Amino acid sequence: MDRLHSLEESLPSSPLHWKRFRVHFAIIIFLLFIPAFVKSIYVIDLLIVCNVWAVFLSSWDLLTGYTGQISFGHSLFIGGGAYTAGFLSFYLGVPFWVTIPLGGCVAAILGFGLGMPALRLKGPYLALATFAASAVLHGLSAVFWEYSGGEDGLYGVAPLTRDYVVKYYWSVILMVLCSGFLLFLVNSQYGLILKSIREDESGAEASGINVTKYKVLTFVMSGFLAGVAGAFYGHAQMHVGTDLLSLHLSIMVVLMSVAGGMGTIVGPIVAGYLLILLNEWLRVIEVVRVLIYSFSVVLILLFIPKGIVPTIISGVEALINKMKFQSGS
Amino acid sequence: MVSFLEILVYGAVQSSVYAMLAVGFSLIFGVAGVVNLAHTAFYMVGAYLIYTAFSVSGLNLILSLVISVVLTGILGLLVQHLCVRPLIRSEYSVMIITVALAMFFQEVLLSTFGPVDRNLTNFYEATYRLFGMVTIDAQRLLTLLVAIFLIICLWLFIKRTKFGRAIQAVAQDREGAVFMGINPNRVYLQVMFISACLAAIAGAFIAPTLGARPHMWEHPLVRVFICVVLGGLGSLEGTILAAIIIGYTEVIVAFMLSAYLGELVAVAIILFVLTVRPTGLMGRRAA
Repeated sequence: MDRLHSLEESLPSSPLHWKRFRVHFAIIIFLLFIPAFVKSIYVIDLLIVCNVWAVFLSSWDLLTGYTGQISFGHSLFIGGGAYTAGFLSFYLGVPFWVTIPLGGCVAAILGFGLGMPALRLKGPYLALATFAASAVLHGLSAVFWEYSGGEDGLYGVAPLTRDYVVKYYWSVILMVLCSGFLLFLVNSQYGLILKSIREDESGAEASGINVTKYKVLTFVMSGFLAGVAGAFYGHAQMHVGTDLLSLHLSIMVVLMSVAGGMGTIVGPIVAGYLLILLNEWLRVIEVVRVLIYSFSVVLILLFIPKGIVPTIISGVEALINKMKFQSGS
Repeated sequence: MVSFLEILVYGAVQSSVYAMLAVGFSLIFGVAGVVNLAHTAFYMVGAYLIYTAFSVSGLNLILSLVISVVLTGILGLLVQHLCVRPLIRSEYSVMIITVALAMFFQEVLLSTFGPVDRNLTNFYEATYRLFGMVTIDAQRLLTLLVAIFLIICLWLFIKRTKFGRAIQAVAQDREGAVFMGINPNRVYLQVMFISACLAAIAGAFIAPTLGARPHMWEHPLVRVFICVVLGGLGSLEGTILAAIIIGYTEVIVAFMLSAYLGELVAVAIILFVLTVRPTGLMGRRAA
């Protein structure tokens, strides 16, 4: 652990130095002022979906991008949280400020349940375990269709509020809290440990890092955040359905995060916004929408494997450096 | 007694489809280390191609089978050469790009054929009574026979021919094979072609029974993956045994309890196996 301390001290600035997060603050302020200019309910609703997806994607990135534990089963956490909130709200009429944290907790327990057996597994075996685990909830919802509503799901989950602008602000708060927490986490010593596990697991273990503890903890945290976002999504849409438990959702989470840039947290968040908005914009040509979209993911993987956002950032940085150099000479 | 015989026959049909799919998946996994999540997408493409050739264009059966299988095989070659080969060093990238390709194929078919099920006529219209009690249609019986025949052929191909020995050599020791003058990239292409063709044949023969749907790749993907891991990495015998176990389990659970539980039981088996014995039934290497 001493080595990590010294590494951290040698970083250019402390992880919480405000200057590093200037752009992030600017974006948050921009998000807060959007309802002042945009009056369309449709656009606001879309931005709520973007905020929720940003949490789905960044929580996946903590698990897979940072820790290297590939997960094709993120719908286990999202759907687990959403259905917990859905059941509590639909059958027992529990208010949303109880169901959303509880949804997160159930997803965290699922994360623990998946994290424990996943400790021994790597690569394709881990991928299969996560695939299979996400099929469990989907299967259960089909078996207990009398309670879960089967394929249709539950309609009539209590809404968050009737006011779209208030709902929007709730979603911004959710997104800012989750992504702020994740950014703080990955810029701290904890993030360094996760990266070391990703790069060389036995090396990390040999340096005295309790790999087991950190892996399981990451599963739990990733599950919690995804579950909270899933529960929020259920309340925001007033509906939980099997689309939240499906393999399709898990795959979309993987593809979108990879397009944004794995292992950056910011990349998947930006990808959440861009791709959901792009999705809506492409709705004009409905038939080929996902087709264009999935094909561009293939191209991104082949030609810019780092992902869109890191590539753009490094491009802009190179440009700025070039300009500085020219004005200096 | 009747239900026992029904389970025996229908379980064999179900297992044979899984075996056809799983053997191809296992082959490319064992030889190249490629987890091809687009494998069942080839099965879907095969089903749609035979629908187009046989039912829409009205070509004869043999010709449409050949078209469907060869075109899917070529698609497999393209996927291997253009998408998998550049990323083959990274297990995760291969999984992600193949799953993206599977989505892409799904969307191409969805936009071409629409979201409705496409039904094919059976290749031969007949029903038989086996053991004097179990009725089965010709299509299912044909699927079972074709699967058994193809798996025996594949077995002989791998164990007895020069190409097969090259495949085994690359699977065992890639560098050693290179020193013996085998080009591993060419072997990967051959294996991908074989595995895509097998998937297409499975898709073509099952299409009249199940219909061709744009989401038909999702359901068998997890099963096939389960068969391959349960059987053990790169073990052909193990994969076939696992396909039989999974196929029969599913049919037994569907007959006794409910069709929905079949999936859960298969998943429970694999989660148990992954926790207790990650190398599978006949695995040769540790996970």
